[in-house]
Amino acid sequence: MKVLMTAFVFALALSAPAITQAQTRSANPAPLRGQLLLPDFASLSDKASEVVNVTLDQRLLSMGCRFLNVEDPDQAEFKKVCTGLRGIFVRHFTFDKDFAYPKADIDSVRRQLNGPGWSQMVNVRSNKENTNVDVYVLIDGEKAQGLSIIASQPREFTIVNVVGTIDLEQLHDLKNFGVPDLELEKKDAPKKK
Amino acid sequence: MTDELENQLRRALRPVEAPEGFTERLMSRLPVAPAALYTSAPVVVALPVPARRKPRNFALPAALAASLVAAVMLGQHMAYEIETGRQQRELAEGRAASRELMEALRVTSQKLDMAYQAVNSPSRPAAPGEEENPS
Repeated sequence: MKVLMTAFVFALALSAPAITQAQTRSANPAPLRGQLLLPDFASLSDKASEVVNVTLDQRLLSMGCRFLNVEDPDQAEFKKVCTGLRGIFVRHFTFDKDFAYPKADIDSVRRQLNGPGWSQMVNVRSNKENTNVDVYVLIDGEKAQGLSIIASQPREFTIVNVVGTIDLEQLHDLKNFGVPDLELEKKDAPKKK
Repeated sequence: MTDELENQLRRALRPVEAPEGFTERLMSRLPVAPAALYTSAPVVVALPVPARRKPRNFALPAALAASLVAAVMLGQHMAYEIETGRQQRELAEGRAASRELMEALRVTSQKLDMAYQAVNSPSRPAAPGEEENPS
């Protein structure tokens, strides 16, 4: 009986590669160029009235793009844009009272955008409404390789980090999604810092 | 009548002496070989004793083979189950990712629109060096 058990275990070990092959998983990838190190906002989830937490690495992004409905013209349009993307990271929190979030965390993200390659494209400071919106692009050669938006208001803040080749002309085609025509390439040409 | 028959039988069956030399003649006609066999010395021949074979036991190899087949089949079944589960997980992940993608786009476009509105707001004073937006 002992021999049988040993033989069974041995045979099972022989078949293990087939099992492990089915279990192959991608290793945790290194941060991409243009990917921001976002603070852990987990503690804010309990305080917030609305939370949008999107973390789409390249694998999930390509899967998500694959599952876009091409029969829907808007999604089909977006499918063209997302082919060059390598990651989308969004943190959006809405609160019921003013400044319930640590501003230092937002500033730490903003500081990362002072690094090389990033150019500030839009900078909105409204003291009246206490609204700050910053839009940055990561320029590599002639192409935008990343887009980051940091928007903060008294009761909400949003960090958007899009990594990958971004065709601004294609971005314009997404007006149906509410993406405004910023006339980026015509007027607000990014100035290198 | 009965006595006479009895007497006749008795006379016919009475012991008679064998003729002279009967024994010798009889013995001379008997075959010689059996007699020689009994007279010669016994020969002991050591015949090889066939080795007593153990009856072959096929139970163990059969059990090993059965275990191997069972393990391989079990492994294949597990691999199939894992692969199917992985595909189903990928499908669910893909759909969830697609929903997240649209949600991300919604938030992004909302914030871009906010920036756009702020930039194009007529009440916003133009920052030094900023071009006037004609739209």
